[in-house]
Amino acid sequence: MARLSGLQRDVLSLYRKCLREIRKKPTESRPNFKAHARAEFQKHLSVNKKDFSAVEYLLRKGHRQLEMYASPGIRNIR
Amino acid sequence: MFRSAIVRSLRASAPRVIKTPAPFQIRSSPIAVPQFTPSIFQGARLYSAPAGLSKDEAEGRIVNLLKNFDKVSDSSKINGTSHFSNDLGLDSLDTVEVVMAIEEEFSIEIPDKEADQIHSVEKAVEYILAQPDAH
Amino acid sequence: MASLRTTSRLFAASRPMFRPAFARTYATVEPTPSENPKMKTFKVYRWNPDQPSEKPQMQSYDLDLNKTGPMMLDALIRIKNELDPTLTFRRSCREGICGSCAMNIDGVNTLACLCRIPTDTKSESRIYPLPHTYVVKDLVPDLTHFYKQYKSIKPYLQRDTPTEDGLEFRQSPEDRKKLDGLYECILCACCSTSCPSYWWNSEEYLGPAILLQSFRWLADSRDEKTAERKAALDNSMSVYRCHTILNCTRTCPKGLNPGRAIAEIKKMLAV
Repeated sequence: MARLSGLQRDVLSLYRKCLREIRKKPTESRPNFKAHARAEFQKHLSVNKKDFSAVEYLLRKGHRQLEMYASPGIRNIR
Repeated sequence: MFRSAIVRSLRASAPRVIKTPAPFQIRSSPIAVPQFTPSIFQGARLYSAPAGLSKDEAEGRIVNLLKNFDKVSDSSKINGTSHFSNDLGLDSLDTVEVVMAIEEEFSIEIPDKEADQIHSVEKAVEYILAQPDAH
Repeated sequence: MASLRTTSRLFAASRPMFRPAFARTYATVEPTPSENPKMKTFKVYRWNPDQPSEKPQMQSYDLDLNKTGPMMLDALIRIKNELDPTLTFRRSCREGICGSCAMNIDGVNTLACLCRIPTDTKSESRIYPLPHTYVVKDLVPDLTHFYKQYKSIKPYLQRDTPTEDGLEFRQSPEDRKKLDGLYECILCACCSTSCPSYWWNSEEYLGPAILLQSFRWLADSRDEKTAERKAALDNSMSVYRCHTILNCTRTCPKGLNPGRAIAEIKKMLAV
């Protein structure tokens, strides 16, 4: 695998955080959360890795969404 | 965690106090680990020994885990040296998922910095064997 | 009940037929046919988060000022209703009390609802979101961090001892007077986003709006946690990044003086 840029590592780190957060959700809804997280990342696969402002925006948005879905009140998704 | 590792190594090598700095070096550079044969440092290190985690077992469990991972393109290619993206056709997000699954399998937590380095079964086994808490 | 229904039907009937039910209401001026149209150009910052790879751009809209209300918010609502429904901005009260429509208009942070459209039709008006904020879409800034900072100063009355008669906590007219010029703040973030110190240090520096609120609670005679509040502010970043540039006081659409409040906090911390 090619060496990852700092920004790419940030993206993977966000994905990792999402997966860690999913472990705290009820077992039966975990696959739903995982599919959602994966789909959210998949949506923007086409973004150029050099398009810093776009990637940074998506990272911020991702962190915001993660923070929201991390709330213990949210037990399932879709 | 680091301190507990030192304490444990101290306890393990109580009669030979002079050897205690050794585990330090081994732990901080996981790449160096396979160069030692287990029989040499078992007395001084005793990391994996109490849990009884051998290289074969770690490898077997990781291979099994990959076989159950539905995104692997060609499961016949899974072996002890498979590269996640080159051999198994996994993308970077799949790799993250595999590494997270390995975390759960061995009940450890892999920090981001190390997790980014693991992209083959070989590296994963190497990392797991260097972890005193892995079991 | 029956009479009520009749009136409402009457009312509905009197509504102009052509206006769709979902249109937002806005102040309009009846067209005066004798006059020539007063066309003015508005350039508005556009950025769509659904196409994050596309750069932000300025879009031009032309409006006839004879048919538009007097305020910038009237113009924006008219653009959204008649020219481009995709234009996105926050608005609510249209009278300068909610703080939703804070934006940068012709280089000044202000509330669109309190800002008159310059009648000079030769020059265009440029409308941007609040500067140095992350943009959610078009003119909508992300104020999450701003609100988190507000929460961090505990903006509520902290008091353990009850009053002797068990009634409300009272204060003298003199003590109440100390809160004038502080309690009116609507947290529109115009001042904080005009402050260069806040631009560079928004992670740690609280910024004029939040410091004005800090002082509002420090100055409250009923609050008993003054010492704790002071201790929380007494570090190099929270307050002392203020270098009395006073953009805050200059831009405040409510005519408040955050610069003075910060100076008062510094005085309190010094003694």
